[in-house]
Amino acid sequence: MSHMHENAMTRGESHHTRRVPALALALSAVLVLVATLALLPVSALAMTTNKATARPNEDGGSGVIGAMDTRLTWEGTVGDDEEVSSITLSLPEGATFDHASTRITVLDGLNRTSIDGTATSSGNSVDVQFSEGIPAGSLVRLEITNMQFPADGGDYVVSGSYTTADGQSHALDDSAAISVIANTPLQAAVSWLDAQPWVAAWNSNPFLGMFFKPQLLLTSFASLFPGWLVCLGIVLVCYPFAIVLGLAFAMLKTSRHKVLRAIAICYINLLRGTPLFLQIYIMFFGLPMVGINIDNNVLGVIVMAVNSSAYLAEIFRAGIQSIPQGQYEAAASLGMNGFQTMTSIILPQTVRRVIPTVTSDFITSYKDTSLLSSVGVMELMMFSKNLTTTTGNITPYMAAAIYYLIVTLPLIKVVGIIENNIARSERGGGPRPKRRAVAGASQESEEAKEELATSAEVSHTEEAKPATDVFAALSAPFVSHPTVDLGGVADGE
Amino acid sequence: MANKHRHSHGDVPVVPDALSAEEAASLAFASDKTLTKHHFTEGEHPIVRIEHLNKSFDDTKVLRDVNLDVWPGEVVVVLGPSGSGKSTMLRCINLLETPTAGHILIEDQEITGQSKTDVNKLRREVGMVFQSFNLFPHLTAKQNVMIGQTKVLKRSKDADFKPPQLSGGQQQRVAIARAVAMHPNVLLFDEPTSALDPELVRGVLDVIRDLAENSGMTMIVVTHEMDFAREVADRVVFMEDGVVVEQGVPEKVFDHPENARTAEFLGSIG
Repeated sequence: MSHMHENAMTRGESHHTRRVPALALALSAVLVLVATLALLPVSALAMTTNKATARPNEDGGSGVIGAMDTRLTWEGTVGDDEEVSSITLSLPEGATFDHASTRITVLDGLNRTSIDGTATSSGNSVDVQFSEGIPAGSLVRLEITNMQFPADGGDYVVSGSYTTADGQSHALDDSAAISVIANTPLQAAVSWLDAQPWVAAWNSNPFLGMFFKPQLLLTSFASLFPGWLVCLGIVLVCYPFAIVLGLAFAMLKTSRHKVLRAIAICYINLLRGTPLFLQIYIMFFGLPMVGINIDNNVLGVIVMAVNSSAYLAEIFRAGIQSIPQGQYEAAASLGMNGFQTMTSIILPQTVRRVIPTVTSDFITSYKDTSLLSSVGVMELMMFSKNLTTTTGNITPYMAAAIYYLIVTLPLIKVVGIIENNIARSERGGGPRPKRRAVAGASQESEEAKEELATSAEVSHTEEAKPATDVFAALSAPFVSHPTVDLGGVADGE
Repeated sequence: MANKHRHSHGDVPVVPDALSAEEAASLAFASDKTLTKHHFTEGEHPIVRIEHLNKSFDDTKVLRDVNLDVWPGEVVVVLGPSGSGKSTMLRCINLLETPTAGHILIEDQEITGQSKTDVNKLRREVGMVFQSFNLFPHLTAKQNVMIGQTKVLKRSKDADFKPPQLSGGQQQRVAIARAVAMHPNVLLFDEPTSALDPELVRGVLDVIRDLAENSGMTMIVVTHEMDFAREVADRVVFMEDGVVVEQGVPEKVFDHPENARTAEFLGSIG
């Protein structure tokens, strides 16, 4: 049944009166009867229920949601030797046929017979009285619009009864069960939005209605959520691997051995020099061709990790090389070996310096997981694409954009804060050591302290001259205690 | 001195083998006894021996046949115009630079040439204080001082301020403490006050003077601080163009320089 039919019918309410020339009616009735009798060698003895279905009312989905208007379609066939004058359909407690409108279609064989009727609804059942008896063998279709299933959800069967022309009442067979989704708070909210005049006004604007339809925005958030989790999952799992790989290749690229450097350069340049999109295609379509089948999500993590590692390797290399030569020399002059220098001097400083760039790269990787939708990974982009396809509305994409921004905007802010902190600490921000007070210096203003401090230091070291403990003299300005415990140092000799 | 072409990058001078310990000690004593205030003891050997030290960077000869002996506990101040090779000589002593030719011996152990020196062990015994401090900016002052001990000497112990929060003078004193904490036999100072504001120089020099007078540590100090050199040095060495031009006790070098270049340099500085 097309939409146009249904709309026309909705306007007709529960009373349908159709006048067709009597002659044509009679003629066709006879023809259909003959045809039906000829076509049905075995005839049913009583009215049978053929099917009962409900029209999906889930926005962008295929489910039937309880306590929301839907259309119930019931079909039955009148038994032989019977003429049906009324049919009563009922659903379990909670369903409602109030405000429903019913359309009656009677097919006598291949011919449509127009029969009027009066539908009377009472709570969870509807009673249809036909203006004339429906002849034996006819197919009866009742389409009941604007009815609602119970809010709880579950599998519901349509039961009921019919009366024949001779006044006898018979029970109808139960229909096959109709699965109904429970009406969630989300659905309730959507229903509420549906009823709001401002929502209707909003949606009547072509732009707002197409890009920011409130109802669809709500349902999109709910149905895109799993995709968002997949995105986050992929990038969070891939990133530690990317960091380790990136660090390894940064080390190789700064290595003294030509071959190792060459390997690193090839790896980094090939991955940075080709689009991630292409890399995804090569891996997702190439590996199955050679018989390697890896789960989509796992392969997604692998491709993203390998791709990110190339960028991270360059970030780390630049970070390591930005550490001044003096740091290596100072470490060396203390007798540190290469490994100690790397782990306790160079890398800790590198980490600080690269945190903003690495965070930016993380943001890029997170966004780039969207490319995986092209090869069937069920991530955010994939979900929103599907939803847009079924609804014909761009709002799901907007919901996806919001899901991306939820993560990226705070991270962008964090990058800014970290950069400021690093800049501040490199300018020497933070508290300064308190200089040891000399006589009269303690009451001086902040401005005067700086100048006085120099003389304080000098006089301190001069006073400390007799002390053989050089450490105490050296460290005194930096510790709150008057002396540093250096016993361990001296004893350990 | 014979030159022999070995590599495409510059000529490598051929120098005599290092002298034996006894021979070197007696020769050094003979030449140095009038040049230093050091109090020699019976049978003493130089703690640092530099023989025929040559160093080139590509085609530029920075050190040309430098010979110098430093005695245990002696404070040697090296003077000279910039580019004279003072810092390079210092950096050769703890192998931050690899000499092109010549010998360096620490406690009669050769560290140059084919010797299988454990560089890290050597550097534990030869501390270095840099012109630009080179503190580790991610560590606090105290951690800077202790890191050599904890990481290298494996002794665990733990000022709570990080280098950028400290003045240059404070940073340099932390750097000195860091070097001293390793208990080196020899402490090298590479222009320790050159990067400091004038008002901060004094504090750092006081610390070095304190070390020189009270620690008994052997020190080689490259500096431009003439007053400091005059007060603290047992011996002053004047270098120019990669060679030692003149050396002697401070009073002699400062007040009666023998070499015209020394006189000119001291005159221009003074």
